[in-house]
Amino acid sequence: MLYLELFIQGIVQGSIYGLIALGLTLVYGLLRILHVAHAALFTLGGYIGVIVTNTTGSFSLAIVVAMVAVGLVGMAVYKLAYEPLLHRPPYIALIASIALFIASEEIFRIVFGPFGLSYIDPPLQGQIELFAGFRLKYGEILVMGIAIVMLSALAWLSAKTRTGIAWRATVTDPEMAAAFGINIQNVRYLNFFIASALAAVAGVLVALLNNLVEPTMGSVPSYKALAIIVLGGLGSIRGTLVASLALGVIEAFGTIYVGHLLDRDALAFAFLILILMVRPQGLLGAK
Amino acid sequence: MRHFKNKALAAFSIAAVFAASLVTASADTIKIGFNAPLTGFAAADGASARHGAELAIEQVNASGGINGDTLELVVYDDQASPTESVPISQKLIQNDGVVLGISGSYSGATRAAAGIYQENSVPYISAFAIHPDITRAGNYVFRTSFVGEVQGRAGAKLIGEMMGLKRVVIVTLNNDFGKSLEAGFREMAERFGIEIVGQYEYGIRDRQFGPIVSSIKNDNPDAIYASGYFFTAGPLVSQLRAGGVDAPVIGQEGYDGQKFIEIAGAASEGVIITTSLNRDSDVAETRDFIAAFEARAGYPADMVGASAHTAVMVAATALRAVGASDSAALRDAIAATNLAVSTGTITFNDLGEVQKDVQVQIVRDGNWHEHSVISDADLLAPPTE
Repeated sequence: MLYLELFIQGIVQGSIYGLIALGLTLVYGLLRILHVAHAALFTLGGYIGVIVTNTTGSFSLAIVVAMVAVGLVGMAVYKLAYEPLLHRPPYIALIASIALFIASEEIFRIVFGPFGLSYIDPPLQGQIELFAGFRLKYGEILVMGIAIVMLSALAWLSAKTRTGIAWRATVTDPEMAAAFGINIQNVRYLNFFIASALAAVAGVLVALLNNLVEPTMGSVPSYKALAIIVLGGLGSIRGTLVASLALGVIEAFGTIYVGHLLDRDALAFAFLILILMVRPQGLLGAK
Repeated sequence: MRHFKNKALAAFSIAAVFAASLVTASADTIKIGFNAPLTGFAAADGASARHGAELAIEQVNASGGINGDTLELVVYDDQASPTESVPISQKLIQNDGVVLGISGSYSGATRAAAGIYQENSVPYISAFAIHPDITRAGNYVFRTSFVGEVQGRAGAKLIGEMMGLKRVVIVTLNNDFGKSLEAGFREMAERFGIEIVGQYEYGIRDRQFGPIVSSIKNDNPDAIYASGYFFTAGPLVSQLRAGGVDAPVIGQEGYDGQKFIEIAGAASEGVIITTSLNRDSDVAETRDFIAAFEARAGYPADMVGASAHTAVMVAATALRAVGASDSAALRDAIAATNLAVSTGTITFNDLGEVQKDVQVQIVRDGNWHEHSVISDADLLAPPTE
């Protein structure tokens, strides 16, 4: 029973990693930029979620507002920070991204205060007994549910719609796509909107599980999500999802059985190193 | 003409600046250095520490200053990092000319800074950092709070003897704070009949404890001794209760503050901690501090604020006794402290460690309240070397 519980905890954590890391994969796939500041958008999502819930009392409204608002901020980040640097080597954009991330932590602290925020009346606190002795919190079910819905919607969007086809074409060959009349600028905006909205959902959900958002809550995702996309094979969406879930489960078991030797973050990187030694291209990356 | 006017203006400004600097230099201001994490992950504690220290400075100046001189706090942000606290200490001593330093920061930053103060023979008081090596930097370094081991021992007595709970799970934050608490707890566990039925560690950035909660449920302990700060303990306690673990949670001063209760919400009810500030105290110094802190900061007093306030009061009392001109005399005056302040009556042993009672507080109806006081002098004896 304990094993099953740990496995489910790992999937819950992995779902959150997936929502965050997927956005990074989308940005990397399209622009070849390592978007560290993505973790700042995750934090922003958490703050908006808590503030909207506390003022309106509606958690579902909070999710929608956080997604839209953070999606727009993500587009602004692209326009203001990355677009002017696209013709420079990728590390320039990376440095800009890191700077943006560090600055954002202090901006959150100045705007929202150093103590962090909590839900005044935390939503979805109950739990449900699935079968004898095995319980899941509503919040955990929601995390897994939202991850599945969001990722399915994304898969449908990219496979079945004209927008999705244009998007995939731009990823594969931007110049050819432009020659066929695809507006590359719009594809990039859309890309940042979706990536950032996913990070925002993750932020709201993490805030729900911890009942705490704080200025530095993006610090772990900022580097762990990078590790995940490398682990999955840079740019591979499926690889990112597999890596996220695998890492979640490994951390869940590792925390309990080797936690006194390696903490959660160290475990994640030990796993990354191990996999890259065997498969340098990542779990599902192309050689 | 215009040219002349500008020149005259320039000359005047230079003279004015020069005069102003002369005035500052000759004015009767005594400077105390203060390093605290005002940004970064520990910024919340930094904010409380600063409120506590500045409150003490205002109170000292309002009651006549240091024999007529004004006390000034020179504050720098150390981000709770030794790489920041070392240059800050050098700057405070060499450029700002402080006569004494106070740490409103964590152990890493404080330990590194202590060596600099010791080298320069400038007294340094750690307000709430708990690592035992801090005072071992030398005879100019003091601490007005408990070392971690002392608080860990108090935790063992509280759980094993006073609460009579024997099957205990330990959850340790894997930094010097959590490790030293665990060491003190383990040292005394046997004496109080405690059996450790499970132990877990987590990192300071962890906020999601799902796997640990599942495993603790499986251990089915009588009590949980969990170290952490409010930003880890809040999520931990709320997740333990949400996960159906009902065993009492016993924490330490890292939980201390209203924010823990805000994060953990209803789950915080009944959580017990060992700390330095008694909210229900009938001691005048403590009651006055609690009222003045809330009026100044806009949120209820916490251990960090009280400890920073305590350290400044100790410094001011020594300065009033011997003045600021002689470092060695100032050091001796601090060593001879016997002062009633918000966190108890402060006296130091030869190592510069404080000996005082441990306050046990419990959350009831959304506020910290008195649970009991541990005043076992042997158990709480600080290290002497």
